[in-house]
Amino acid sequence: MVPIKYNVRNLVVRKRTTAAAAFGLALVVFVFACALMLGEGITKTLGRSASHDVVVVMRKGSDTEMVSSIEDKHVNLVLAHAEQVGASKKPVGVGEVLVVIHLDKLGTSGVSNVTVRGVPEDALAFRPTVKIVEGRAPNPGSDEVIVGRAIKGRFKGLQIGETFELKKNRPMKVVGVFSDEGSSYESEVWADVHAVRQAFGRPGSVSSVRVRLDSPSKFDAFKALVEGDRQLGLLAMRETDYVEKQSEATAIMLKILGGIIAFFFAIGAMIGATITMNAQVAGRTREIGTLRALGFSKTSILFSFLLESLVLALAGGAFGAIAAIAMKAVKITMINMNTWSEIVFGFEPTPEIIVSALVLSAVMGLFGGFLPAVRAARVSPVEAMRG
Amino acid sequence: MTPSDLDAPPDAGKAEATAPEQNRKSAAPPKGKPIIELVNVTKTYVRGKEPLTVLDGLNLTIEEGAFEALMGPSGSGKSTLLNLIAGLDRPTSGKAVVAGNDIGSMSDGALAKFRARHIGFIFQSYNLMPVLTAVENVELPLLLTKLPAAERRKRAQTALRVVGLEDRMDHYPRQLSGGQEQRVAIARAIVTDPTILVCDEPTGDLDRKSADDILALLTKLNTDFKKTILMVTHDPAAAERATITRHLNKGKLE
Repeated sequence: MVPIKYNVRNLVVRKRTTAAAAFGLALVVFVFACALMLGEGITKTLGRSASHDVVVVMRKGSDTEMVSSIEDKHVNLVLAHAEQVGASKKPVGVGEVLVVIHLDKLGTSGVSNVTVRGVPEDALAFRPTVKIVEGRAPNPGSDEVIVGRAIKGRFKGLQIGETFELKKNRPMKVVGVFSDEGSSYESEVWADVHAVRQAFGRPGSVSSVRVRLDSPSKFDAFKALVEGDRQLGLLAMRETDYVEKQSEATAIMLKILGGIIAFFFAIGAMIGATITMNAQVAGRTREIGTLRALGFSKTSILFSFLLESLVLALAGGAFGAIAAIAMKAVKITMINMNTWSEIVFGFEPTPEIIVSALVLSAVMGLFGGFLPAVRAARVSPVEAMRG
Repeated sequence: MTPSDLDAPPDAGKAEATAPEQNRKSAAPPKGKPIIELVNVTKTYVRGKEPLTVLDGLNLTIEEGAFEALMGPSGSGKSTLLNLIAGLDRPTSGKAVVAGNDIGSMSDGALAKFRARHIGFIFQSYNLMPVLTAVENVELPLLLTKLPAAERRKRAQTALRVVGLEDRMDHYPRQLSGGQEQRVAIARAIVTDPTILVCDEPTGDLDRKSADDILALLTKLNTDFKKTILMVTHDPAAAERATITRHLNKGKLE
């Protein structure tokens, strides 16, 4: 076999053409990896909001909390059912109201939707991962709110000490910032449940109830109790399933969109690789003829040039993958297709994504390099004799 | 002889007993067994619609250990003949048997193996790989053998010592003079201990001094190492070194 250093050094010697082709390939890998990382990012961001032992109860027929409504008297029934199957941690559950308000974005002239979650005073105790990172927790029953770390400072009035209008003439004061391990809760504003209900004219009901069971295995019994009571008209879902369903559509859309963009980019990059490798073959006809004269077979020449194209592609792919990984530091805002409000999430690189991206670059290299490699293999050994 | 013996020619003593170099031209051609036998060989190319006969019913026998020069005007068929003998091309008709192999009946793959085993090439433009060092260039043909890496490197270094370039092993071709590049090419040609050295204008791109050095080296390979050498040349001084000089004209030997 022709030594690989022959191919690598040839790529190094022809720095400019190599760099141009590698850049094209890197771009494709970058776009492809970023799309997958975004899909992963949204899944993980929403997924972090979910616990295995938490069950979400909503009105039957509701896909999301936004459109669900549960009367207060039913909330107590739900909590009682939970205690019956086994829910000993206090608080057993929380009934929350979810609304969307419009706020002016900072730094741009537009407005955007922000999710406001009306929570009872024990909401922080119910979610032990939620921590106040700045300021303090709101006083119960007041018009004080805390904002998620991800949207703090992104909207007018969402800094500590500032106020914003929950409804016209209903100012709310920001007193603290909370974190929740990067979950989608960090894109929400949490206000007192009574204040939200009052402002939005929804007394006596909540959007959803979350209960924490002692063990995920108690879910089936709880579900049977809740859904078996036809008068309640409620459904129970594991929080993990609920969140997965919420993020599924967006994640798939991102991945498909990224895949389509990467596909068209890939065609361009493969043409680039083909042109580069063709130039390599054309410029080295006598060298190839010499290798053939020395006794290297057509197959070994074909393999050698395919390998060269592969090295070129993997070099480009590695750059693209590194650039994509660097995107981890970037946070982006997108409309959550279920709540129609902004959600902030990041690019989440995983080993699978990086391997897929490198495999894509290798495939592009092999496809792009195939025809030039065939051309190289067809070079007659007589070419060695031509001056 | 194996390539590892290159620095210690086994027949060195015998070589000294042969006729002195300046008298070799008048000495009788070596009486070895035929290593190249061409019988009624024709090579015809089709250019457009017109067939062009480059070699025309050519008969040639070259014996083992010979140092033969092939001369002739441009277009006389020298390169075509060299290509056939080297297994780079096949005759249109006739029989070409080189080192016991019938060139005309061999597949591309078989010809590649034949060249790797039996032919050492020395080109007018050296044809070194510019991205490989001298020793890596010399090692190239050994990659087609099953020798371990350390042994390949050792043999490549030995071949470079034979051509007097032991101090240039890690130089790239661009760092060498024309004469040195051709020496590297000669080292590459002999490293596999081929049956025949095929030289295409080996001094064509060199100044007189370098050309003479290369010719002396080829003569040494013929006399000391018993290499059969077939050399196409326009250079009468080069042809002087050969034991036999043949002239080709319009596809026929004169």
